[in-house]
Amino acid sequence: MTRKKVAVEATIPEQRVFAVDSMSRVEGEGRLRVVVKGDEVVEAELSIFEAPRFFERLVVGRHPDQVIDMVARICGICPVAYQMTATEGFERLFGVELDANVRQLRRLFYWGEWLQSHALHIYLLHAPDFLGYDSALDMARDHRSIVERGLALKQVGVDIMALLGGRAVHPVGMRVGGFYRVPTRGQLRALLPALEVALEDSKETVRWTSSLELPEFERDPLMLSLYDAELYALDTGRLVTTEGIDVDPGDWDEAFSEQHVEHSTALQATSIDGKRHLLGPSSRVVLSGQGLHPLAKEALEASGGVEIIRRNMFASINARGIEMIHAAAEAIAIIEAYEPPADPFVSWEPRAGKASWATEAPRGVLFHRYDVDDEGRVVKARIVPPTSQNQAFMEDDMRGFAGSVLDLPEPEAAARLEALIRCYDPCISCATHFLRLEVERI
Amino acid sequence: MAGNSTKPLRVGVVKFASCDGCQLGFLDLGPALLEIGVKYHIIEFGEASSNRTPDGPFDVLFVEGSISTDEQARHIRRMRDRTGVLVTIGACATSGGIQALRAWAGNDGGIAGFIDAVYAMPEYIDTLATATPVADHVDVDAELRGCPIDTRQLVELLTATAIGRRPQLSSEAVCVECKRAGRVCVMVARGEPCLGPIISNGCDALCPGMARGCYGCFGPRESANGDSLAGWFADSLDLDDAAVAATFAGFTAWSPELRAVIDARGGPPGMRAAPASGSGKAANSKGGAA
Amino acid sequence: MIDLTARAWLAREDLDRLIALLREDGRKVVGPTIHDSAIVYDEVTSSADLPTGVTDEQGPGRYRIARDGNGSSGHAFDFASSPMSWKSHTYPAAVPISRATRKGETVVYEEVKHDSPRMAYLGVRACDIAALHIHDDVLAGGPYIDEDYADRRGKAFIVAVECAMPSATCFCASMGTGPEVSWGFDVALTELDDGFVVKAGTEAGERFLERLHLDEASSIQAHAAAGVGVEARARMSKQLGVTTEGLKDRLVAELESPGWDEIAERCLACTNCTMACPTCFCTDVKQSSDLLGTQTTGERHWASCFTLDFARVAHGNFRPKVKDRYRQWLTHKFSTWVDQFGTYGCVGCGRCITWCPVGIDVRKSLQAVAPVRAPTIGSEKPVPVSANPGRYSIGTIADLWPENRNVYTLLLKDLPEAVCCGVPGQFLMLDLPGFSAVPISVSRYREGEIYLTVRTEGSTTKAITSLHPGSQIGLRGPVGRGWPIEEGFGRDVVIVAGGIGLPPLRPLVDQIFKRRGHFGRVRLFYGARTPNDLLFMEEIKSWAARDDITVAVTVDRAQVGAWSGAVGVVTHLFDREPIDGGHTTAYVCGPEKMMTATANSLAGRGILPEHIFLSMERHMQCGIGLCGHCQMGKNFVCKDGPVFSRRELGESLDVEGL
Repeated sequence: MTRKKVAVEATIPEQRVFAVDSMSRVEGEGRLRVVVKGDEVVEAELSIFEAPRFFERLVVGRHPDQVIDMVARICGICPVAYQMTATEGFERLFGVELDANVRQLRRLFYWGEWLQSHALHIYLLHAPDFLGYDSALDMARDHRSIVERGLALKQVGVDIMALLGGRAVHPVGMRVGGFYRVPTRGQLRALLPALEVALEDSKETVRWTSSLELPEFERDPLMLSLYDAELYALDTGRLVTTEGIDVDPGDWDEAFSEQHVEHSTALQATSIDGKRHLLGPSSRVVLSGQGLHPLAKEALEASGGVEIIRRNMFASINARGIEMIHAAAEAIAIIEAYEPPADPFVSWEPRAGKASWATEAPRGVLFHRYDVDDEGRVVKARIVPPTSQNQAFMEDDMRGFAGSVLDLPEPEAAARLEALIRCYDPCISCATHFLRLEVERI
Repeated sequence: MAGNSTKPLRVGVVKFASCDGCQLGFLDLGPALLEIGVKYHIIEFGEASSNRTPDGPFDVLFVEGSISTDEQARHIRRMRDRTGVLVTIGACATSGGIQALRAWAGNDGGIAGFIDAVYAMPEYIDTLATATPVADHVDVDAELRGCPIDTRQLVELLTATAIGRRPQLSSEAVCVECKRAGRVCVMVARGEPCLGPIISNGCDALCPGMARGCYGCFGPRESANGDSLAGWFADSLDLDDAAVAATFAGFTAWSPELRAVIDARGGPPGMRAAPASGSGKAANSKGGAA
Repeated sequence: MIDLTARAWLAREDLDRLIALLREDGRKVVGPTIHDSAIVYDEVTSSADLPTGVTDEQGPGRYRIARDGNGSSGHAFDFASSPMSWKSHTYPAAVPISRATRKGETVVYEEVKHDSPRMAYLGVRACDIAALHIHDDVLAGGPYIDEDYADRRGKAFIVAVECAMPSATCFCASMGTGPEVSWGFDVALTELDDGFVVKAGTEAGERFLERLHLDEASSIQAHAAAGVGVEARARMSKQLGVTTEGLKDRLVAELESPGWDEIAERCLACTNCTMACPTCFCTDVKQSSDLLGTQTTGERHWASCFTLDFARVAHGNFRPKVKDRYRQWLTHKFSTWVDQFGTYGCVGCGRCITWCPVGIDVRKSLQAVAPVRAPTIGSEKPVPVSANPGRYSIGTIADLWPENRNVYTLLLKDLPEAVCCGVPGQFLMLDLPGFSAVPISVSRYREGEIYLTVRTEGSTTKAITSLHPGSQIGLRGPVGRGWPIEEGFGRDVVIVAGGIGLPPLRPLVDQIFKRRGHFGRVRLFYGARTPNDLLFMEEIKSWAARDDITVAVTVDRAQVGAWSGAVGVVTHLFDREPIDGGHTTAYVCGPEKMMTATANSLAGRGILPEHIFLSMERHMQCGIGLCGHCQMGKNFVCKDGPVFSRRELGESLDVEGL
């Protein structure tokens, strides 16, 4: 039974290297490397060696509905996030008014993906770390009902996406102006029993994760998420940070920029003044917590409150569970209030300009910008996934955390560092394609 | 292989250039995921387990993703030598995927142009000018098509392999599934361009079921007559060359049958060749699916 | 013995009682409903579910529904065939047929019980009734019976409906299966404006109708009902059908025809035709097992001979090419089915034409691979009357009138029979003693009389057109090779006339109308120099008003206010017309420059030179190839023509001064 390789360089006696060549239980291909001299961390790098696929170039010349189909392929776990962000950007530019019931179906679709993604992460990718297993399959030998609960939660998310989009991975239902087809009330209501169970299972998830022992690691992070006075951060409102940035979601690129660093096939994003922010469930619970459903708020309080989530990255597992409660509760509310619209989509006319928007993918803020011509075809595209924005922050955190594991044998220290990375739920396949509008030499 | 032996098969799941969506097919097996351990011992699956055996050897290796770098090409050849049955899963591995469109970059600045368009410091990126299917590099024993694959076909492959029978993965047209389900043809009844007649089934005619035309993510089936269908798009659905090419230039564009049509009609959107001599209709105002 | 002549009347508002009674009998009623831009067979709980006021428009590869189209508001059954046939219910796409358990060495089979629900099918048309009975032969005719089919068929109550609006792809009349509903039903409805004339076809149907307590239909209602089928048949006679005469043998004689390869270039082998076809019955059995192979269910699925795997065996494939598979399907349906089951496999519902994604039309395919060669319109070449210039017959002018300032038509009666049996496109040599004989085209054949249309150009024609009724005239003929009408069988027809070129084409148009079902789309394009040069305009207008021919007229130039139609050369009329070049035959007549331009334009649209026919003009004296004047290249226009194919003319047409 081989574990990941660990390299120890002997040339400089007091230099130690902790590395994981190919990270496991993360989406995509990345490696981490921390170099320590004595007690000082001199290098902390997260390298993404995922082969680039150049999506921003591939969508050039395409009609908006084809763009929606194509950008889903950026990620197999969060395709809906890509479709939603692109669609809403186009709809804003073309002045499309969605039917109110279709708006609700869009949110329901997104909540389905959140449920699926968070359940996948908590139970299959993250929890094994807390309980000391290599995989959920191994974990199931001793904790079968827990893993089955996770799989059932994941299935509810899949079922929502399959109903609205035909299938959960790379759905085919979304188009500019609405959906190709909408379900009947009966079809939606058929999801309610499983959603009620999912709501209970989500509450149980938070009770369970808040009972797990968290490694000690506290800091005071800068955070970024969407914020809407009335709704939880999903696809409406403003982009805000803990230190006061507040921009329209379509204007992300006025507050943030990207650089390409040598050790990565991905670009890294920071705010214009060089600061690094954390995105994702932890940031949302902190910045947008007032929008959580009362049941989710209850669970947040019972789990120890928002401060732990803010300061300790390992508490992100609770944040995800709390968000699952919210997702299930709002999904139930949407279904109960749903009336089928007269038409599944409204017609629209293209116009030239900038189609841009940001929404909250399960992993954090996702920004798209398409410059289109007067037929609506893409002239230039820019896509900034959450993991690329988190990447610099993750390296900072690795640097900060490394000190606490230096005394451990290298394999174990590397494993702890890898476990830290999992807290961000990185989606590495996403992270490897960006467009830059200006070249910035470092 | 398989069938009567009582020893579980050593199985690996690996990826090259792809989105991970096909590997999710394993995780989407749901409770069956917990059962297959009887017949299948998963020894390498980076996404799901930190217990890794990256070098195998494998009785069955599932490969997702296209080959996009020299390093990946070397790696798959190494893996092939250590594998009994190699199964490619998904459009990227079976046809190069959407990223294979980069091969038309020659129309517009080459791969260098691509990298410049996307990356700040292009000299850091090492990538091939093409994103090719795995079968272009090594022998492949079986393939599951789709973008992503259909979980039921994965189950059929696993079941058939376990029992010892030939997997029932036919290469019928998407039309077969539409007709078996009693769906009304979106092309005949609404004039929506649909690739279904030349595309392999397996998805349960998903897109016609959502009232839209098939966009070919399972790739061409046997006897795919792209010319005839492209001619119909042009003559009866009034699509110009660019629109026909755009419809064919999707997630399995690099497959020979689709590639031929795309080339005959000037290339994919955003990567079109200079107007060729007399190749079909001039642009008109109807844009069709593009 | 039931009374097959009894007719009852069901008022429109009482249709709900009929549906309710079927449901009370514990039957699920399936009938036409609107879903997804089509009329599909689904559950019907009341007449509100029916597609009232909706019609359909069908063509190769095209299906559209229209509300209140063709003035159908209020009618519920004014459409033709549905996307899927009743086999979706009687022979469904997926049926479990076996269950087995395998543990170690033991194998146990469990019988699958076929116990389907009681059904009533509302709105079954004659073609589909014929299809059900074909399936009865195939699937339940013995010696082996499909138990699931037999169960479902036995639980089906058939409420047929008379077809009022066949579509452009219907050809049940050719196949002898409709449109009239005359057998194979329990109850049949014929829809009129206020309701339905109803008849019973079985004892079960008769007993059912008794429970509805209907009044007898009045004789007016019964008469109107009978007219529906007649009207439907008349509609179908105006569009292409299938010539079943000798078809079975013709097809198998042509297994190596190059026509198959041409079709294979278009065919996608997508199986849509076989899936939509109500008589296709091929299936696969798919095994569904659990992971360890202990429990397996065998499920019967619709399959198709178009799929590559269909004919595969372990060591190879018997029908690897698409051509092989298309040929298998067509020859089975129209030839070998007769050997197997005694009828054609095709009922003429037209679904395979409508639902083919690239619009392949079996009616045209049959003619392309196994053409009807022998002309069936009794035109054995008659022996001409007095061809020799020494001997003339006498014809009497019964009437003579001007068509315009320099064109006249003569009506001749009391003629020898042979003259009136001429072929469209032939001509007569007319003689007035003292003048040179002139060749004149026959512009209409009627029983016992012919029409000759003459342009006054020289002294003979001036003299002829100055005659009056009662005058006699000498004539020889008809001579020459006329228009080969059989070259248009099973194909679209394009007729292009220029000015004085219309008269020789008019008898061809007459023949086409008489045998309209042999032809696909028929279009006439007519051009002249000015409006005053147009001939037969009243007749042209009456043709334009027909729905089985499209007519377009143009003039090269016109004075403002004198003409409200198209202006331009005649080729402009069809520059933008969609022409299925591979399946069109063209007949062209007019000034030579006009014919050359037309032939070139049509060739550019894909019509092969052997399918473009022209009528040439040269100086003629004897009319029988002996005086040498009319020679053109290697041909004598009088006896080798005047009708030639473009291919035969070859170089001659394009060379000036030949």
